[in-house]
Amino acid sequence: MAARSGPRNTRLLVVALVVASLTIITIDYREGDSGPLAAMGRTARTFMAPLQEAVTNVTRPVGNFFSGVAHLPSLAQENTNLKAEVADLQARINATSQIEAQNLELQNLLNLKQSLTPSSVAAVVISNGMSNVNYYITIDRGSNDGVRVNDPVVTGSQDGARLVGIVVSTTPISADVRLLIDEGFSVPGRLATSGETGLVVGNGDQDMTMQDIPATTKFPSGTGTESVFTISYSVGDQHGRFPPNILIGTVSSVVQGGVEPDAQVSVRPAVDFSSLEAVLVLQTANGGSG
Amino acid sequence: MRRVLALIAVIVTAILLQSTVFSQLRLLGVRPELLYLVTILIALQEGPNEGAIVGFTCGLAQDMLLDQPMGITALTLTLLGYAVGMARQYIVSPSPLVPTIVVAISTALGVAFYEIVTFLLGQFEAGFTYAVKVALLTALYNAVLTPILAPLLRRIVEGSRPRRVVRL
Repeated sequence: MAARSGPRNTRLLVVALVVASLTIITIDYREGDSGPLAAMGRTARTFMAPLQEAVTNVTRPVGNFFSGVAHLPSLAQENTNLKAEVADLQARINATSQIEAQNLELQNLLNLKQSLTPSSVAAVVISNGMSNVNYYITIDRGSNDGVRVNDPVVTGSQDGARLVGIVVSTTPISADVRLLIDEGFSVPGRLATSGETGLVVGNGDQDMTMQDIPATTKFPSGTGTESVFTISYSVGDQHGRFPPNILIGTVSSVVQGGVEPDAQVSVRPAVDFSSLEAVLVLQTANGGSG
Repeated sequence: MRRVLALIAVIVTAILLQSTVFSQLRLLGVRPELLYLVTILIALQEGPNEGAIVGFTCGLAQDMLLDQPMGITALTLTLLGYAVGMARQYIVSPSPLVPTIVVAISTALGVAFYEIVTFLLGQFEAGFTYAVKVALLTALYNAVLTPILAPLLRRIVEGSRPRRVVRL
């Protein structure tokens, strides 16, 4: 890299780099996932995945500490709500270590895995994505392990699965998962009490929105008392992407009345994405939509 | 050669940290942009030439790891590196706060440019308020990181410069 050069050379260099960038954007935009640039991207991600996994393993305690600091405002609120519960539990809990917590999470996933149909692949989260605009994670299982694009990703325990997102791209040893809170992510959902169905749409760091729920729908009183589950459907040979009865979240607020024919329903995800470490990939990819 | 290797090491380290440790640091839904910070600091120190090259490399590397049209971050950081490198000739104040202020302003402008390009390509679905919030908070976080990373980066870049031999 030449550190010193004339202004004319610098301008030429910048023009060349800008043209190169625009060419890359154009080629990638036209070719999509089947193009040479997408293949280069997959190769780069294949190369980076082991490094990311290694760095994540080493820095997870540090990351968890800073993540905890970063989430202090919401933790304070959560802390207030859980204080009464903690008082009861404190007598029984002497000490919890990170390994014990991780074991519990993996045991829960194992129980869930055994109770699930279709088959599933357990995976560890190795990256929480890089962009401020999109909500993605990267997991340490890829096409070599049977992970396919459009496979749903869940977490939870034997009591039930909770929806995390959907696989959007794979390399032989890793896969990118679009989280359900990502802007534009949508999943058909059903309200547990009334049985009304609608489309749950991601909203970034805000609660998700559930669309197409009639304003006359009855909701149980109290925040978090109404759950939203996935629904499945099939039209001809096309099947929905998500198996039924996976918990998406709980209703956090409802605005009804006025002239709007639909209620404004907010749904809080059932998964805490800031502390997600292990997930299950359901092997259902069928190229369906929904 | 030593210089190229040093800069590649800086970029790879920045990408690894951005996709692991920093990816967990979402405060108010936004996290720092380490590759923007690296590009700006190197452009401030080395000028528009290296600013543009490092920006393009950082951007392309980040694009490879994002599931969206490639080249957008490369375009953004190329222009950002060049602009910051050009602007440094107008910065005459010796105040240690200057890099922090430059990082804050240029990060905000860079993120805003990135959002506009992704919006024009139909890849940005969030609203205007969210876009402004991301630009401003990213600028704030990068500014906070500047006093920590700037001296480290300066030492690496200066240490990798080819030594001049003066014969008397």
